Amino acid sequence: MTDFLNLILEPLQELFLRFKAFLPNLLAMLVIVIAGILLARLLRAVFVRFLKAINFDSWSDRMGMTTLLRKGDLWAKPALALGAIVFWALVIVVLMTGLSALKISAIDQLVAQFFMYLPRVFSAVLILIVGYVLAGFISRAMLIAAVNSGFHYAKLLAEAIRLLLTVLILAMVLEQLQVAPGIVLAAFSIIFGGIVAALAISFGVGGIEAAKRMIERETVEKRANGAKDDIEHI
Amino acid sequence: MKTVTFRKEVQEQLDLIKTADIVVGIPSFNNARTIGHVVRAVQAGLAKYFPDRKSVLVNSDGGSTDKTLDVVKETSIEDYSSILLHHRVEPLFRIATPYSGLPGKGSAFRTIFEVAEALDAKACVVVDSDLRSITPEWIELLVKPVLEDGFDYVAPLYHRHKYDGTITNSIVYPLTRALYGKRVRQPIGGDFGFSGKLAKFYLTKDVWQTDVARFGIDIWMTTTAIANQFRVTQSFLGAKIHDAKDPSADLSSMLYQVVGATFELMETYADVWKPVRGSEPVPAFGFEYTVGLEQVNVNTGRMLNLFREGLKNLREIWTDVLGLGDFREVERIGLLGAKEFRFPLGLWTRVIYDYAIAFHEKKLPAEHLIKSLTPLYLGKTASFILEVEQMGQQEAEAEIEKLCLEFEKNKEYLITCWK
Repeated sequence: MTDFLNLILEPLQELFLRFKAFLPNLLAMLVIVIAGILLARLLRAVFVRFLKAINFDSWSDRMGMTTLLRKGDLWAKPALALGAIVFWALVIVVLMTGLSALKISAIDQLVAQFFMYLPRVFSAVLILIVGYVLAGFISRAMLIAAVNSGFHYAKLLAEAIRLLLTVLILAMVLEQLQVAPGIVLAAFSIIFGGIVAALAISFGVGGIEAAKRMIERETVEKRANGAKDDIEHI
Repeated sequence: MKTVTFRKEVQEQLDLIKTADIVVGIPSFNNARTIGHVVRAVQAGLAKYFPDRKSVLVNSDGGSTDKTLDVVKETSIEDYSSILLHHRVEPLFRIATPYSGLPGKGSAFRTIFEVAEALDAKACVVVDSDLRSITPEWIELLVKPVLEDGFDYVAPLYHRHKYDGTITNSIVYPLTRALYGKRVRQPIGGDFGFSGKLAKFYLTKDVWQTDVARFGIDIWMTTTAIANQFRVTQSFLGAKIHDAKDPSADLSSMLYQVVGATFELMETYADVWKPVRGSEPVPAFGFEYTVGLEQVNVNTGRMLNLFREGLKNLREIWTDVLGLGDFREVERIGLLGAKEFRFPLGLWTRVIYDYAIAFHEKKLPAEHLIKSLTPLYLGKTASFILEVEQMGQQEAEAEIEKLCLEFEKNKEYLITCWK
């Protein structure tokens, strides 16, 4: 009988001992998560205040980032949206750190992988931000130069350049994140090559009439404007 | 402040000359065809009006490949009696040297200032190398107010065709006058006289890596002189006729350099211009006379097309800079036909002030911002040409005066918005 009871109690005792050993880890995780979330909230508040102080919202308006957010159906102010992104990034980091406190080998491995992946995420975000600003800068410079030289399709040209740069940047971001790199490379080549081929075909075959009209319009206006100014502006 | 290091042969010449009363600077770049006439006029002017003053002619060249430097060295008046002059008492020294730094007129001037400082010159003159209408009297008119009347800066006064100098007439003159309260009619004329003291003062400023080193130099010199309380005057030089500008000099780049330099100076001298209200005339030297001017061909249709292209494509930028109200007004005039097209003075004044404020607030990168002004400027220029088409020179000048008064009247708006 005693043997039978031992058979039942021993696993329970083992379970209790293991739970007892695990309990501090669990408590540590809870403390880390709760404290981390509180800290993340505090950091979000400080960060949002800092962004407001440097007029991040009006800068975003000027750079077209607010428009981009609206297009993505995000109606929060850019400073608040960025604050929320930072908050959730911190929460993920806190959760991962908390989980590592449990000292479970499978979770430890997962957490290690997560932290090894983080630099890639940071560089992808950096590429995205720099690329976005650069694409806006180049396309606006192109727009102004084309308008000042009297090119009729200035906006179309500027938007096409912005689109091509955006495709290039997104491909770079996905490549950096190692999201199916083979597919990304193939997709990028297809899309980029496709745009160029589509333009060539539409101008060369399908849009031959439209292309003819565009070129004729430019030529006629150039001829009409042919009489040069002798004005000295300075 | 880092100074220019002269070439060995220039340093040797400077050591030989030691000091000078007058330094005449001629910036150049591939002007072999015209610079000979300018050198002869300078030489005759110095011989006629300042025969006993030690003078140096400095040609600061941007790396010409058409033997401009050789023309400067070799050109001289062989027979002074043919122009009813005796030989000079003091010899005329010549220095012809390539300048260093950013390529542009400003860098060329910097070398001239350095030479003036090295020789402790009392008076300096700078004249363009492509002038066809320069006479010996220009030297007298630009130097005498400095040497004999104690002025520090002599701006030119010319008779120009009513269509010429549109950046000056519609932006730089009205804006500078409203800001600093001095009616300097040709603030970016290009031919100036100034004291050695002012040349030294210019060299204390670290601006040689900015647009001042290029087309911005003229407005920078004028504004620096006015804002720092130097004594400023003007001299009537007659007509300004010179070779056609370099065709590769694109209008929007020119506008960017001149207007950018003007706006940049507004930042530097905000405390100086804010309290100024109205404007006062600047004393003028010289005998004013009427001159015949060359015909200027204009193509207002092309200008209006570019204005309408801007209206169609730069909507976001213009709305952001001008605000919706003024943008709607610009849109309204865009609908007018070529004959009745007019750019209201009040609107144009607000456009320039709004651009200055946008520059101050760094709403866009400076180059993008000012280059986006080009179609608006062309609209204003077309409007002015259509307006004064049937007018004489004086009536056209009266129209510019009206614009200046509008700038002065609306200055309060600029001050209120300038945070």
